[in-house]
Amino acid sequence: MPALPWMLVESKRDAGATYGTRFESVGMALPERRLSTHELMASTRHHTRIDLERLTGIRERRVCGPGETSLSLEIAAARDCLARSRYTGADLDMVIEASITRYVDETTHRLEPPLSLSVKEAIGAHAATSFDISNACAGMLTGVFVLNDLIRRGAIRRGMVVSGERITGLGANAARSIRSILSPQLASLTLGDAGAAVIVDRAASPAGILIAGFTTLAEHSRLCLGMPALHHPGAVMFTRARKIHDVAMESGPPLLEDVLGAAGLSLGDIDWLIPHQTSVRAIKAGERVLAERSGEHPRHVAITVDELGNTASTTLFVALHKLLDQHALHGRDKVLLLSVASGLQVGVVVFEVDELEVTHGELH
Amino acid sequence: MGSCIEAVATSCERGRVRGRGALHVTDVAATACLRRAGRRPSELDLLINAGLYKDANTAEPALATIIQEDLGANPAPRHAHGHGTFAFDVLNGGCGVLTAAQLLDTFVSHGAARTGLIVAGDVDPSPRTSRNFPFSPAGAAMLLAYTPGPTGFQAFEFRTFPEHAGMFEASVHWEPHAGWLRRGRNIVDVHEAPEFGARCVELATDVASSFLARHGLVPDDIELLITSQYPRAVATDLPSALGIPLSCVPRVAPELARSHTAGPIAALEAARDRLATARRTLFVTVGAGITVGVALYVTGVP
Repeated sequence: MPALPWMLVESKRDAGATYGTRFESVGMALPERRLSTHELMASTRHHTRIDLERLTGIRERRVCGPGETSLSLEIAAARDCLARSRYTGADLDMVIEASITRYVDETTHRLEPPLSLSVKEAIGAHAATSFDISNACAGMLTGVFVLNDLIRRGAIRRGMVVSGERITGLGANAARSIRSILSPQLASLTLGDAGAAVIVDRAASPAGILIAGFTTLAEHSRLCLGMPALHHPGAVMFTRARKIHDVAMESGPPLLEDVLGAAGLSLGDIDWLIPHQTSVRAIKAGERVLAERSGEHPRHVAITVDELGNTASTTLFVALHKLLDQHALHGRDKVLLLSVASGLQVGVVVFEVDELEVTHGELH
Repeated sequence: MGSCIEAVATSCERGRVRGRGALHVTDVAATACLRRAGRRPSELDLLINAGLYKDANTAEPALATIIQEDLGANPAPRHAHGHGTFAFDVLNGGCGVLTAAQLLDTFVSHGAARTGLIVAGDVDPSPRTSRNFPFSPAGAAMLLAYTPGPTGFQAFEFRTFPEHAGMFEASVHWEPHAGWLRRGRNIVDVHEAPEFGARCVELATDVASSFLARHGLVPDDIELLITSQYPRAVATDLPSALGIPLSCVPRVAPELARSHTAGPIAALEAARDRLATARRTLFVTVGAGITVGVALYVTGVP
């Protein structure tokens, strides 16, 4: 009998599933305002000599303006998602909110009631069960993992995962204290604001989600800590970025092979790899390590961090939305969503595109 | 066939020793729960934290991941030997534990996972500056595991009443003149309307009554009632509103009587000896939103 994968896995091959699942539509919301890396680094209190753009490949990011919050971004993304969907809010059985930042105004991070309650009210999903998930940058993919399970078992028919990140305030706070490239707040300068939403429903065809897997490498749980600032509005984040990168490079590839193997796939079967977007350099390094280990490449690797920064829990679905906007995904393309997040979380979802590229263009 | 409750445990903060906040009480409860169940931490496939008020109001990572590390539940991959643990947080106020139970029940019932731990803990992260923090410091844990028998959760239902969302609101927000030397500080601020408790009882009664009716049950069929412990009116007034005798309601220890997300597990802890023999247990939880959660737990006892 083959060994079980280390990750908690739900595969299309499981005998216990009643239904298949798929991504039905994807929505996105970006603030209008752009902030270049040059402008951000010019705002640091100390003269740092850090060439952040060369280090990360990030040229600019979007930044919330007055009145834009985590909640407003996620409501806008949810509406964009519904506008591309065959469903209305009233058709949704579940709404899961999954952001790290929970700002309902510029300085108020809401703990209760859940933000999902406000989202479902705004989109008319009155009958939907709602709750929030917190899982750092893996939040949205965790929500998808949960919905995938509930839909496959017949507990619900369809649901939405939504997130809005008003997270660039961390960069503004970091700019006060950063002195060198060794600062534990350096990663805060890579962040960008964005909202994203995705609807998962029952798949009518053999396409859709082929496998979903997650695991937590908790010996590294304290490598990245985010919390409200002590003496400034907003929040701060302290990251041992080098260590996280090293762990991801060492532990990520075998976990990925495990999951792909459980689905009868290999990296060479993947048309698009959409990884979590921390920096262009980290994505390229990951691609190299995967290729050296397996001798195979995905056909394409999606990069949005150069123009949007690291938009935290929304990165994978912002990137997916952009690929759909660009008509880059077709027919039976296999897409691998790869989340690596504080915790340390490693999450994988592989899906076949199905009708997503058709529905994406149809704004009702 | 489903998920049954193998063990529960609770913990209270004693004194104000620095660092003994939500993480500490939750770690203690989780360790005690595993010990009671006779399980090793490595047996956990899932670990879900439903606590809301965390040390330093940490927003990242999920507290569940830190608890996983503290427990030593598969913290590092060993590919030749078994199966890892997946940990994340669910935020749904006083209904968080029941939401986590629904998610775990689905994973466990169908074999994707065999064993899962739900933890919940709330401790005021900054007692000197927080406003109106009403909850008892408490941590709790509940272990669910696969069972091929008839015992387990049978149905869940959640309803929200957003027209009452303003009755209970909690946030961390910037207060420009708070803290040391009035230099400004991010503070925890809780607002509760005076009628919040009564409205929770009213809505919970409606939702639970119609839930029972839909499942062909009457209040006399319920042998154990497990409720939220906050607001207090839910624990004290809901049984009579539902027509369930007080003898079916466990007496929760006074130090846990105002526990927040841990409340339903505190009630289970007080009913530890009765859960296995009660044929039908009704869970009714209430939280901000207003959100009401109801679940039916059955045993095969004739």
